[in-house]
Amino acid sequence: MVNGYTAATLEEALNIRAEHEVVPYAGGTDLMVENRPGVTYLFLNKISELKRISVDEKYVRIGSGATFTQALEDNRVPQLMKDAVALIAAPAIRNAGTFGGNLGNGSAKADSVLIEFVADAKLRLVSLRGERIVDVDRFYLGRKKLDLRDDELIAEILLPKTGLEQYDYQKVGGRNALAISRVSFAGVFSTQDGKITNIATAFGAVADTVLRFKDLEDTLLGKTPEEAKALKAQYLKSYADRMVLTRGRVSAEYRKTVCMNLLSEFLTRFGI
Amino acid sequence: MEKISQSVVKKDHEPKMSGRSVYVGDYPGDGVLTGKLLRSTLARARVLDVELPVLPEGYFYVDKSDVPGDNNVNIVLDDTPVFARDTVEYIGEPIGMVAGPDVAVVNRILSEIKVSYEELEPVLDLRKADTVFFNYEYEKGDLKKALAEADKVYEEEFTTGYQDQTYLEPQGMMAEPEKNGHMYVHGSMQCAYYVHGAVMRVLGCRPDEVHIFQDVTGGGFGGKEDFPSILGCQVAVAAKKANAPVRCVFGRREDLEFTPKRHPSLCTYKVAVKDGKVTAMDIDVKFNGGAYTTLSAVVLQRGIICANGVYRIENLHVHGQALKTNTTPSGAYRGFGAPQTFFAVEMMMDHIARDLGVDSLKFKEAHLARQGDATSTSGKYHFPVPLPEMIEEVDRAADFRRKHLEYQKPQTGRYHKGIGMSLWFHGAGFTGSGERDFIKAVCKLHKFPDGTVEILASNGEIGQGLRTTFPKIVAHELNLPLDKVYYNHPDTARVPDSGPTVASRSLMIVGELLRRAAIKLRSQWKDGEDQVVEEHFKEPDFMIPFYLDKFQGDAYPTYAWGVGAIEVEIDTCTGTSKILGAYGSFDVGTPIDYNIVIGQMEGGFLQGIGYASIEQMNYDGRGRIRNNSFSDYLIPTTKDVPNLKCMLHVEKYPDGPYGAKGAGELPLVGAPGAYVEAVEQALGHGAKLNHAPFTAEDTLNEIRKEGK
Amino acid sequence: MDAIRFVLNGQEVSYEGSASDRLLDVLRNTYRTTSVKCGCKEGECGACSVLMDGVLVNSCCVAMGAVEHSSIVTMEGFRDTERYAVLDRAFAEISAVQCGFCIPGMVLAAEALLVKTPHPSDEEIREGLSGNLCRCTGYNAIVHAVSSAAKEGEGLW
Repeated sequence: MVNGYTAATLEEALNIRAEHEVVPYAGGTDLMVENRPGVTYLFLNKISELKRISVDEKYVRIGSGATFTQALEDNRVPQLMKDAVALIAAPAIRNAGTFGGNLGNGSAKADSVLIEFVADAKLRLVSLRGERIVDVDRFYLGRKKLDLRDDELIAEILLPKTGLEQYDYQKVGGRNALAISRVSFAGVFSTQDGKITNIATAFGAVADTVLRFKDLEDTLLGKTPEEAKALKAQYLKSYADRMVLTRGRVSAEYRKTVCMNLLSEFLTRFGI
Repeated sequence: MEKISQSVVKKDHEPKMSGRSVYVGDYPGDGVLTGKLLRSTLARARVLDVELPVLPEGYFYVDKSDVPGDNNVNIVLDDTPVFARDTVEYIGEPIGMVAGPDVAVVNRILSEIKVSYEELEPVLDLRKADTVFFNYEYEKGDLKKALAEADKVYEEEFTTGYQDQTYLEPQGMMAEPEKNGHMYVHGSMQCAYYVHGAVMRVLGCRPDEVHIFQDVTGGGFGGKEDFPSILGCQVAVAAKKANAPVRCVFGRREDLEFTPKRHPSLCTYKVAVKDGKVTAMDIDVKFNGGAYTTLSAVVLQRGIICANGVYRIENLHVHGQALKTNTTPSGAYRGFGAPQTFFAVEMMMDHIARDLGVDSLKFKEAHLARQGDATSTSGKYHFPVPLPEMIEEVDRAADFRRKHLEYQKPQTGRYHKGIGMSLWFHGAGFTGSGERDFIKAVCKLHKFPDGTVEILASNGEIGQGLRTTFPKIVAHELNLPLDKVYYNHPDTARVPDSGPTVASRSLMIVGELLRRAAIKLRSQWKDGEDQVVEEHFKEPDFMIPFYLDKFQGDAYPTYAWGVGAIEVEIDTCTGTSKILGAYGSFDVGTPIDYNIVIGQMEGGFLQGIGYASIEQMNYDGRGRIRNNSFSDYLIPTTKDVPNLKCMLHVEKYPDGPYGAKGAGELPLVGAPGAYVEAVEQALGHGAKLNHAPFTAEDTLNEIRKEGK
Repeated sequence: MDAIRFVLNGQEVSYEGSASDRLLDVLRNTYRTTSVKCGCKEGECGACSVLMDGVLVNSCCVAMGAVEHSSIVTMEGFRDTERYAVLDRAFAEISAVQCGFCIPGMVLAAEALLVKTPHPSDEEIREGLSGNLCRCTGYNAIVHAVSSAAKEGEGLW
């Protein structure tokens, strides 16, 4: 085809990716808004092995070509992820938009990526040279900045199978559908024997990348919610100091207030 | 339900439903040149030079020097240029147009044109604007005395923002030179004869040398009242030079950024209260007109005439100005100046009531105008004012009074509720003596020998149902089956000038003319003959003559009335609000087709809620509109107001067809007052809100203020 | 260079232009299926909705290369079906069509919804149509029409 390559298998796609200067095209919903003139796409939308959702001992593995609609209809996908993708745009966009594309677009507003951050998801990146598994926060570095080499493709998102049961997800958009996040928040929480074993909170759409401060989270680990509660004020203040937010159609101050409110609500909800 | 109100299948249903309707962008492109505008990149500048690249064969550039006639578009005044004169006055002002067969080449040419400017200091702040386009003032009673004798004088300022019409079909016009040298201009429009007048002048030709046809039009809401005249002139000039058809259809961003929208406003109210009653209002209204006058004069007139709302105010002084800023010219949008002042007066009444410690609705009820009362302009409410009954209807549907009391109590937790009610009218038809002095509507019925009847009028079907309601009226009077009467889109070569499709006038004014024409035809009916009858506008006898210089007399023959209640739940963590219900009762007289009228009410009410809440548009420090895309300028989706209930209250108008009055604009007008009152109640803590749209960010700011 | 082959409204066609061309533009300009409307070219209004392999998509957000070997249905293809006839009657009955510009996309969104959810609640209808903006109607009539079509067309979806 003119100005494009299409691949039926991942291997074919990797060969093209290695040989040519191409832009990987998954669902098109972000790329086509811009549709740069003269661009050459590598069409991945017919590669069935990228569209698979599967489960192994540790992970729910979501193929980069899986669409949001596909995930919503799959009972193996964690509810937290479903909550987030259910609020993306509208059916037509969810039918075409993919997990890989959401990552590949490199925007901090990507709603599925926020969940990957709090879930400590890993990404499987492949090339003809082999494959590597990276943590999502090591991959996703800033606006349009990804640790993706010129010959690589995102193959799968590896979401931990457990630990996402207790969560909160909040999206603040401009309206109830067809809304781009102005602030988004996700948090997960687990305890064992009354002690906090995991607390992860992340904020989307408020800075160049998704914000998550693991060192702050660590200060609550091993404590009981009661003990954590005593540290809450200081904890929130530490967040407030770290949250340097950008303005968009809403002000940075608004975003910050919402983030802090949502974080505080989240803590309250889990007894902190 | 009366027979005329019973719903029928709309005459344009089938082609629109099946996608067969041809909108201006749908004509085949073979042999048609695409026109694209070269636009100013500065808000105010002198244009020193326009340097063109070498144009390939078959590509054209036109600007002011190519205008055969007058380079001014006839709107109300003539200051809007077809193509920029020596200066540009807003970002996006058209300097010229490039036309050619391949749109990619046209775009390349546009990008290669070098415009050199001498930049001038723009005026962007309405408060600092010093060019007054229009200045009106009127008064009645003794304002000074009332202010002096008042127990308390309240003063407050209200602002409203832009609202874009956001018809789903962007603006588009096409001009085709005809073999006989005439120019045929067609496209998406509300007012074929406005375009006719404008193009004729710009081409410097006789009326018969130009004809205008309204294509199927994908929504207007006022946005296609004056603007198609401008774009129509631009494509006509290009088509003249190229001697080939030229079409220009805007993209969404171009449409959002550079076409007229509702005037942002700044209203100051000074209100005297004595013994718990409002005795006087001193009102100052400022509308941001943008760079050219376009329709600002008439928008402002309507805005200031209803500045005192639905209330009887004995002592009244109203001063209104439309001011120039170096921004996209503001224009017509459903409501036409009234939503701004109704918002202000409703919030003002609410705030005074709260300060007096009385129920806001009771306070409003105590001031309602009644039949026989004088209007703001010392005209008269000639017909019953059904607001008290309509308030009860809305109260029943919304459970308003109970909820209003309940939500008044202090609320705890993350989510807080509020409910607000707003009362309003919409003056039906043109303001003042416009119908009598300027429009002088004429319509015709053409009966063919086979007994079918064609309606000849210039009003455009833009979704509001005229292709169905006009024939319903005529068929009803002639006792014909509906399929024997039809109404096509107007072509100025074939139809008389029955006036523009504006001001909620078409059905009430032209519909009544058609009804009278049908009676005439019935009395002259001869089977098998070709017959034509004609009817001319006559002002109703009861009208108190209106004098625009003094703003005195009946500004409108009658009024459509609206009562709306909106219930919200705000999230105190995020400031977002969920609309739990929106309830409206609307009196537009007899509905000429129940479904059509309900469709107008629901659509208009939702637009009003959008205006009040999520539809935010503003410009940056350079004068560039920031919210220029559909991801940035948000209009309601199916999920934003799922519980939207509209009811009809029928107070017949004897001079409208079967009692019908103006309908289209009414439902939008008062929505902002109801919404913002609801948010205000949910916020509690004595918050006094004074601007619309009131966004999530505004709500959170208000909560933060309380915290401090 | 091979042309892009796909099925449009049941007919096999091959497109010789660029793989990065928008399906929306190609449908309107090359194949003259002008029921597909352009409202924004950003996936934000749904006026250009079509069915791609039976799934609702915004044709402005689809590059031609992605269409290869797919089946595309526009209103030109859908309007000959029995399901369309049911939707048509329901929309007509309540005068759900005003300016008409959003309607072909809206109706295809309704079709896609009913295929998945033959007995939708009003809330599900509003979700199913949430990507299709209409500025005229306030949506009530459209939701009502889809709901009544689902009942009238029992067994068709």
